[in-house]
Amino acid sequence: MASFVLRRLLAFIPMLLLLALLTFVLSYYGPGDPVRLIMGENWSSEEVYQSLRHQYGLDRPLMVQFADYLRHALQGDFGRSYQQRVDVGELIGRALPVSAQLALASIFLITVIGIGLGVVSALFLHRWPDAAISGAGVFLHSVPSFVLAPIVLVLLVLKLDLISTPTGWHGLFSVQTLVASSIIAASPLLGVIRQTRNSVSDVLSEDFVRTARAKGLNEWHVMATHVMRNALAPVTTSLGLTFGYLLGGSIFVESAFAIPGLGQLFFSAIRTSDYPLLMGATIVSAFWIMLMNLVVDIMYGLFDPRVRSGHGS
Amino acid sequence: MAAESLAPATTNRMERAYKPRSPLRSAFDRLVANRMAIFGGVIVLVFVFMAVFGQWLTPKDPLYQDLMRLNEGPSTEFWFGTDELGRDLFSRILGGARTAMLIATLVTLIAAGLGTVIGLLSAFVGGWVDSALMRLADLLMAFPSFLLAAFLNATMRQPVEHRLKDLSNLTGIEFFTNRQVVDFVVVFGALAVVGWSGYARLIRSQVLSLREREFVEAARSIGASTPTILRRHVLPNSIAPIIVAVSVNFGNAILAESALSYLGVGIQPPTPSWGQMINANLDQWRYYPHLVLVPGGVLALLILGFNFLGDGVADALNPKQGRR
Repeated sequence: MASFVLRRLLAFIPMLLLLALLTFVLSYYGPGDPVRLIMGENWSSEEVYQSLRHQYGLDRPLMVQFADYLRHALQGDFGRSYQQRVDVGELIGRALPVSAQLALASIFLITVIGIGLGVVSALFLHRWPDAAISGAGVFLHSVPSFVLAPIVLVLLVLKLDLISTPTGWHGLFSVQTLVASSIIAASPLLGVIRQTRNSVSDVLSEDFVRTARAKGLNEWHVMATHVMRNALAPVTTSLGLTFGYLLGGSIFVESAFAIPGLGQLFFSAIRTSDYPLLMGATIVSAFWIMLMNLVVDIMYGLFDPRVRSGHGS
Repeated sequence: MAAESLAPATTNRMERAYKPRSPLRSAFDRLVANRMAIFGGVIVLVFVFMAVFGQWLTPKDPLYQDLMRLNEGPSTEFWFGTDELGRDLFSRILGGARTAMLIATLVTLIAAGLGTVIGLLSAFVGGWVDSALMRLADLLMAFPSFLLAAFLNATMRQPVEHRLKDLSNLTGIEFFTNRQVVDFVVVFGALAVVGWSGYARLIRSQVLSLREREFVEAARSIGASTPTILRRHVLPNSIAPIIVAVSVNFGNAILAESALSYLGVGIQPPTPSWGQMINANLDQWRYYPHLVLVPGGVLALLILGFNFLGDGVADALNPKQGRR
């Protein structure tokens, strides 16, 4: 197990390097001159411009700048934000806990609701509850989160008058977080429902399930110990695939609800061409997603011993 | 249902020698029998109609600003009301339909085409080309492609604009300096660049597995050339999964474009795009909810239509998987 984790962690390095290079080159050729942004009002003086360019090391060749960026990034220094004039590392450090809690809440909802509805679908295969759940799942998957957010806002605030301040961060256990995380969870729910439905219905038709029922075990016992144990391993994979969605969803939901998380940073960075912030946020979120996928793979091994022995060789 | 599927199986054996029943034909029959798919198909057709003929149906000029009548609610004159610049929202929605459908078809076709070429290249050349291309596909799939598309859009707009201007000076064709063309090139390019990896993996695995099958070996042993084998044996046998992947991705392409436009890096105003309309009015949702809800609702409806249709196509082409 330890060697498997180590090997996966080592595989992160080339991917993160490639990603950093890609984003660095794109920002280098992208629009907006950082020196002009930093100079602000006094942009006319050519001498000041050149000295600032030199001072920030922007007159050096691309690869030298990139190596420099990497050296600092490895020490946790992602440079300064052009717009907010604060260290990018500090901004990300403040935003990450908020986004992580929001993602945790969404993952919890996706897991509980997705697996629950998937099992119901499998038990009523090809009957109306199955069709209804599938239809609702496709519906929620189709409505983009930046459409769902204003609809929910109008509904909860203007029509039902349930909450008066829907925006901002109010801690993990608050109505606002529940609303925001539900919206993030809406789209990836479909994949988990479908995967659970298919793998549970597959396992239900296995011989050992018939044997267990023939022995006279009650239905709950059969479901819990024989069906779910075997059906859940592939479901963890589909849960892993949702992390990318979570990040994408959080950009829109955090901007609509003014939640000060990573998605919000990304949103403002892209709108203001704030490249150091954009790169820092991109690299940190990519790392986070890879890490979460690794956690999912480890859980997969815990659920299914066959996988574990397969990786050991 | 059971009787229907049994009947052809018994007659097939006799008929097959003379006239094989086309698998695409029976897939089409299954698609038509699927109520959800028909529902999705009708929605998509309505939007296709809006996109093609919308230009001549608009009650007002979608760009005309009546600054005396800002943010009005729906009325008989303005069916969906007016927007923040006093433009007729209904006409803008029609214009947005054109943008969305263009994106859906072109982005999906470009990404699928690019993926097919790369997948074939990977499967046939093999070696280090194969592993380099597949590592690249891995990277694109491991990372949320949307972030990369947004990054590409944010940074590549100006360089692309300059290149197109050079091209225009070189050829003397005005077309390349049109802002709308620049927008489309950047958005299509970015979405295709991040979207090809799934198709490439699909094609590559199809070719690699089909190449080992007996009928391909038989064709090769009677002296068929590689292009013939590709055309007669590999392509017909891998067409179904490609159609499934393409049909499922139309909705995703529209979603990606509207998301980019919502972030402000996609289609630029004044070209109508639903995502950008939502973004422009989002901070006004308390006062003018219709300006957010109408484009949002239309966008969701079209994606829903594509998803129902795509799922129907997937079920129709994989009858075994859908009806276990």
